[in-house]
Amino acid sequence: MNGWRNLFPNAWYVAEREYRSRATSRSFLIGTVILAAIAFAATQLPVLIDVAEGTSRTRVAVVVRADNMPSDSQAAMTATLNGQTNSSTHQAFVLSWYQGGDAAAAQKSLEDGKVDALLLVDRDPASQNLSFTLRTNLASDGQPVNVITNAATYLALDDGLARAGTSIGALQRTKVTVLPVLGSSAGPVNSISREVSTNLLSTGLIVLIFMAIITYGTWVAMSVAEEKGSRVMELMLNATTPLQMLAGKVIGNGAAGLTQYGIILGAVIVGLLAQGPIHRAVVSGSSTSDSFGGLSVPVLGAFVVLFVLGFVLYSLLYAALGSMVSRLEDVQSATSPLMMLIMIGYFMSIFGLQAIDETWVRIASFVPFFSPYLMLARVSVGHVEVWEFGLAVIFLLVAIAIALVVAARIYSAGVLLYGQRVGFRQILRAARVSR
Amino acid sequence: MALVIDSVSKRFGEVQALDNVSLEIQPGEVFGFLGANGAGKTTAMRVVLDILRPDSGTVTWGGRSNTELPHETWGYLPEERGLYAKMKVLDQLVFFAKLHGVKPKAAERETRDWLDRFRIPEYADRRAEQLSKGNQQKIQFIAAILHDPQVLLMDEPFTGLDPINAALLKEAFLEMKNRGKTLIFSTHQMETVEELCEAIAILDRGRIVVGGNLRDVRRSSGRQVVRLAVEGDPEIDWLATLDGVRVTRRGQDYVEAEVAKGFDPELVLQAALTRRCKILRFEIADPSLEEIFIEHVGQMDTSERTLAPRAVHA
Repeated sequence: MNGWRNLFPNAWYVAEREYRSRATSRSFLIGTVILAAIAFAATQLPVLIDVAEGTSRTRVAVVVRADNMPSDSQAAMTATLNGQTNSSTHQAFVLSWYQGGDAAAAQKSLEDGKVDALLLVDRDPASQNLSFTLRTNLASDGQPVNVITNAATYLALDDGLARAGTSIGALQRTKVTVLPVLGSSAGPVNSISREVSTNLLSTGLIVLIFMAIITYGTWVAMSVAEEKGSRVMELMLNATTPLQMLAGKVIGNGAAGLTQYGIILGAVIVGLLAQGPIHRAVVSGSSTSDSFGGLSVPVLGAFVVLFVLGFVLYSLLYAALGSMVSRLEDVQSATSPLMMLIMIGYFMSIFGLQAIDETWVRIASFVPFFSPYLMLARVSVGHVEVWEFGLAVIFLLVAIAIALVVAARIYSAGVLLYGQRVGFRQILRAARVSR
Repeated sequence: MALVIDSVSKRFGEVQALDNVSLEIQPGEVFGFLGANGAGKTTAMRVVLDILRPDSGTVTWGGRSNTELPHETWGYLPEERGLYAKMKVLDQLVFFAKLHGVKPKAAERETRDWLDRFRIPEYADRRAEQLSKGNQQKIQFIAAILHDPQVLLMDEPFTGLDPINAALLKEAFLEMKNRGKTLIFSTHQMETVEELCEAIAILDRGRIVVGGNLRDVRRSSGRQVVRLAVEGDPEIDWLATLDGVRVTRRGQDYVEAEVAKGFDPELVLQAALTRRCKILRFEIADPSLEEIFIEHVGQMDTSERTLAPRAVHA
């Protein structure tokens, strides 16, 4: 066939038709609306979490039996407890302070469930340091217990400093860097949240590519099988070449997919912009969530490149496999080998995120079928050289060129084979003898 | 300028779909492929269209190989009919025309013209799935000719059509012939072939068993058919006793007999006169295409046309 010579404009016409029929189909419209709604809802999750947290405050009873406590102990304790939660929008801890109070009464309210934790503050007679006893049914390694423990340590330190003739406040005023372990505003805490958000971002981007390849790749396969099943293929065969059809289908469905992604992305952006106002309206306070943490221009650029190339590579194969069946019901089983391949790449990258510098991750990130995931994972975590990325892209392009030739052969043979499921052997034989 | 199929063979696994097929179709001719199902008609057309590549042999049109000719040379109406079910008739016809290199505006104008010719202009904005089978067939025919191809290949164009639609399509067919197009179609309806074709080829299991000008084909067996009716003797029993004469059919008012090769059918007339019969009808004809077909392909045909014997359950 003289397919290479005149890929266009016929490929454009096919792409245009594919795009139109896909983008105006009911399933596309419904799917887009549902996904956009889900995406919008997802952006409001932090608000929901804050609302949910607001109703589950941790009530702490502090019974102080020690003497000579620093004068502002209660206020400092309240501030430390609530300052250490991720959100400053509400009081996560409610403090009941019993100076020299009765431990038995407090113990009773703990047992009755009126408070969640009971903190006894004593002074060690030998060292004069404060000692603490925490009684609670809360998980011993949970966040509330950690926060209370930290606050107690802070109190002990403050007390120690007071006895030495100064205070934490005084130290801060003298520009001494204070207590990274304890402080809510110090460096290490921020960097932890940044790392978490980078990991979330990588996973998110990988899931985006994974979903796109499966969903829109299946569209391509379905479009081929449908055309074959309805026998329009016979008309198309004389009007176009397999290459023109392949290219048109990949471009058209890819563009429809990108349209859907664009709309979903729009919903996400609107959702994020609306987060603040909604948050203020619902929870009354300002949101501090940092959803875009770690998203930089290079990462976005790499995402777009890998997204497009990965989609093209996989959807060519989807088209080839789709040409082997003539009923929509058979598309899923025909494309299951490809599904396996995609899943393998996906899981490799999810595990790879935890071991980003391992040799197998590095090697796999150059393998065309896995690089859309793994190279993206490496880029988003930031452990990658420019030449490495370039090499992966070149490999992908080569793989696409090979896939195009192979897919066109399978396709031109497959679309003429009707009847039951066509086996791989049959296809290979047919591909060898036809054109 | 002829379409020349030269020693084309094509094999699918165990099946020899085309076996050293050679034939020549003149420009402007109406040519019929005859054959039972699976005889190789569709494969032959696909090879001409360069949808399938033959294992050996060549196809040329006007001296140019079909692998070099543009798609626009051919118009193809496939046997398996299909349209994009959800797409509007006008949109998909314009789409197909565009793929064949027709400018969008011209494509729309041509499409509307043809819909008018078929007296279905109101279908332009309907989706294909809303049309009856006969009307879909018209749309497909239009799709095959919109780009004004030189050669029109149609695979079983008349199957599944009611008589009215078949007549309409035949008229469109003849119009294409009058426009100087070369028409090639396959069928197993003998009457249609006798009505339309100038030349034919009968295919059997991938081989051309007989081919050429329709009249030559009918005479190729050397046999002739005699139809005789005489007064007062509807059976005409003596006819079967003549040398080289075999009674093939006893109609209500005449008897049909086949005169073997090398015998003069007029001997039958002489025999009747000798017996002093009053002749009501005497007719010499070529064997019908059906008879030729059965003669060549008969063996396979009988098993296809009769039911297998009923199973006997004790």
